[in-house]
Amino acid sequence: MTSIVSIREATKDYHLGKVIVKALRGVNLEVEEGEFLSIAGPSGSGKTTLLNLIGCVDTPTAGTVQVAGRDIGQLSERQLTDLRLHTIGFIFQSFNLVNVLDVFRNVELPLLLQRVPSAAARKQRVVELLTRVGLADYIKHRPSELSGGQRQRVAIARALVTRPRLVLADEPTANLDSVTGENILDLMRELNQTEQTTFIFSTHDARVMAHASKIVRIADGRVAEIAETGNGLGDARPSAQPGAAHNGGH
Amino acid sequence: MTSLLSTLRVIAEIAFRNLFASRWKTLIVGGIIGFGAFLVVVGSSLVNGVDRSMRRSITGSIAGHIQVYSNTSKDELEIMGSMGGGTPDIDPLYEFERVRSTLQALPNVAQVVPMGVNAALVSSGNTVDQTLSNLRSTVNALSEGDRTPETAKKYAAQKAHVQQMVKILRREMDNAKQVSAQSATDDVEVVERAASDEFWAGFESNRFEHLELLENRIAPLASDADLLQLRYVGTDPQAFARAFDRLEVVDGEMIPPGKRGFLFSKYVYEEQVKLKTARGLDKLKNAIDERSKKIAEDPDLQRIVRENTTGVRELLLQLDAIRTDLFRSKLQAFLRSDEADLSKLLATFLTTNDANIHERYAFFYRELAPHLELYRVRIGDNLMVKTFTQSGYVQSANLKVYGTYTFKGLERSPQAGLVNMMDLVSFRELYGFMTAERAQEIATIRASSGAKEVSRENAEAELFGERPGEEDAAVGGGAAPAETDPLAELRGKRARQQVLGGASFDPAELEQGVVISAAVLVKDERKIAETIRAIEDAGKRQGLPLKAITWQKAAGIIGQFATLMRAVLLSTVLIIFVVALVVINNALVMATLERVREIGTLRAVGAQRRFILAMLVLESVVIGLASGAVGALVGTVLLLVLGKVGIPAANEQMSFFFSGPRLFPSVTPAEIAFSLATVLIVSMISSIYPAWLAMRVSPREAMQSED
Repeated sequence: MTSIVSIREATKDYHLGKVIVKALRGVNLEVEEGEFLSIAGPSGSGKTTLLNLIGCVDTPTAGTVQVAGRDIGQLSERQLTDLRLHTIGFIFQSFNLVNVLDVFRNVELPLLLQRVPSAAARKQRVVELLTRVGLADYIKHRPSELSGGQRQRVAIARALVTRPRLVLADEPTANLDSVTGENILDLMRELNQTEQTTFIFSTHDARVMAHASKIVRIADGRVAEIAETGNGLGDARPSAQPGAAHNGGH
Repeated sequence: MTSLLSTLRVIAEIAFRNLFASRWKTLIVGGIIGFGAFLVVVGSSLVNGVDRSMRRSITGSIAGHIQVYSNTSKDELEIMGSMGGGTPDIDPLYEFERVRSTLQALPNVAQVVPMGVNAALVSSGNTVDQTLSNLRSTVNALSEGDRTPETAKKYAAQKAHVQQMVKILRREMDNAKQVSAQSATDDVEVVERAASDEFWAGFESNRFEHLELLENRIAPLASDADLLQLRYVGTDPQAFARAFDRLEVVDGEMIPPGKRGFLFSKYVYEEQVKLKTARGLDKLKNAIDERSKKIAEDPDLQRIVRENTTGVRELLLQLDAIRTDLFRSKLQAFLRSDEADLSKLLATFLTTNDANIHERYAFFYRELAPHLELYRVRIGDNLMVKTFTQSGYVQSANLKVYGTYTFKGLERSPQAGLVNMMDLVSFRELYGFMTAERAQEIATIRASSGAKEVSRENAEAELFGERPGEEDAAVGGGAAPAETDPLAELRGKRARQQVLGGASFDPAELEQGVVISAAVLVKDERKIAETIRAIEDAGKRQGLPLKAITWQKAAGIIGQFATLMRAVLLSTVLIIFVVALVVINNALVMATLERVREIGTLRAVGAQRRFILAMLVLESVVIGLASGAVGALVGTVLLLVLGKVGIPAANEQMSFFFSGPRLFPSVTPAEIAFSLATVLIVSMISSIYPAWLAMRVSPREAMQSED
């Protein structure tokens, strides 16, 4: 197995006025391709900072962070943006859809940013993804016309539309009720299995963590524990049908 | 390529949908920009329209495109009259012939018109004076033995008219006495005496003595405003008419070539020479017919009505007994009144209002005017023009009034209408210039008086010491020359010549003498600045002290009007756009702050900074262009309508700026493009700061949702 994320002695300091906040104090972490990894920890533990580094929206103060084989500390702003565009998909706690665009356009957006030339190819891919998340009938809807779970599935479709090697999900279920949250987790897990996409998600919800193949616990800016769960890489949970996601799950 | 277009499309889509999503912001920002564009289009079109009209008015009436005068002058030339009203101190150009040939050698010079502007007092004589002088000539005829019945009839009528006048004056004095006891008792006595039956009974026995009393004591009491202050341009009338082709002779004829003469401006003739009552009625009718004014609502018109009702004396004095009776019966019938006092009848008649003005105007001109002298100076009369020469002496000339003229389209404009016209030769005399004729006289005097050399100062003293007219007796009296003195002979000759009035001169004199300035009309108006340089250079080469100025400068304060308007418009537009800039900037900053999450998400998902920049700039450019286009369109439609209908000049002064009774603005693609470019630049500038803010939004903003 190759590492998609490789972090060595990464530290991150924030300057709040004259106070230096040490958000990360030397993190070492290897994430292998295909993992379904949960980063857990209380607020202020450095969880979000670690996610920012992995998501290439921030660079470390010291140490190295390699994503898809590239040392992000050495990359320019533009290169980082490009790396995000082509390698990483994002799922946000508040879904973060572009409200003024319909579902189709929201999902198509990353393909446009990638300059995928053929409109037909883009459309095929967008429809394929929306079908996978069970929203094929909602193509022309605006985000405001959808429920929270539906919006998050649009966000998942957007994250996966570019076939990224890594999907980063920041508290993906925090704004959803538990049943819907479960469904979202099931969907992510299913996509992780079928697309062989690495998922890294942060959460402080024990039930959500339970879905992960590996749990990385963060405390005081350090990795406190790396726990293998029963959900091994080959040991996928029974895959849910896309349609089943509509009705809530387990 | 297609993907780039798609990217642009999605940017545009986000931008458009954002505009739509925040409608109110869009409407407010768009409204301001639209108003700005509207103002730029309409304002610049109007200013350009007024600019063009004024250029036509000024260059077409007297100034020409360029005025050339002496560069040794103390003051600047102001051909249309200066603010202070004084005459600027301008050195003359001595050799007009050379000036003309120098100017006409330049490629862009089309025509050269010699001119000088000056002001003079003109006596038109009051009605009592005129009637008395008529009576005197009849009395002369009688005393010379004229016994024809016509003369006897004329004598009776004129005597009755004078009697009538004395009565009017006496009644006025009675009225005045009631108001204040201050009236000079001396005057009252004289009027009482002149009104008495004994006086008129004794008139037959000693006509001349009685006439003298009337002329010396009574006539001055009846002085109506009989001195006119007239501005005039001395020029070559033919060259002037050729150069300013809007000139039209309204009454009479043009001053013929080689003749001395005076041409009234129609405006002055109507305004100052016409019977005040008639002028008042004209003004009322014009205001009501052409400017839809109402006497009931307009204080100016009410003032005219008051002046007409209180100023009936001017009419009464013109009427002899027969016409007094005629007027009385006509007015009694018209007003259905049995009032016997004509002054009261006239006052009632002239108390006009919106309902009866048209009927009374028509009645006045149909029934009364044919029996009145409508103008104090008639076409064909001689006019005594008195002026102060540059050295301060009074100079006078008796000139035939050939007619009146106006500039087409500027008939109502005081600015264009204040200048009357006179031949250049008379102008020079009145200004105190030496003419060839007078130089000859001086030479004669010098030869006969034996003087060999006369210094410049002496020559001037001598020149101005001998003046024609009544001042001679007073000023020259102390050094009364002997009978054989050639000066005396000359004086006699001059006096005769002046009585003749329309005396001729050699047309060559026009060319050879001095002028104050020369108006230059150019072939290509766009090259005025180059032509001015060319004129001054040519002047240096030829040793002529030529200074050339544009029509704007020559027109003085009037010429600056368009520039002033442009400055006002520009500052208004500037203020509006500064406000727009602040408001738009503010709105966009707010919008950016509201959209930090969205922008952060776009950045996280992989949008480069330039994508964000393009999105925001596009938004403001879209607002700018769309609302700018609407504003410009509304403005253009308005201007097209106004271009058909015309904007009426609110008053007579405005007609000069409009170059006619209405301004027909036009709108050019350049003005529309200019307004769109302006709003585009403003909206782009106002989006710089918010766009910079947006570009600095970190993709982390998308992640830290709850922290």
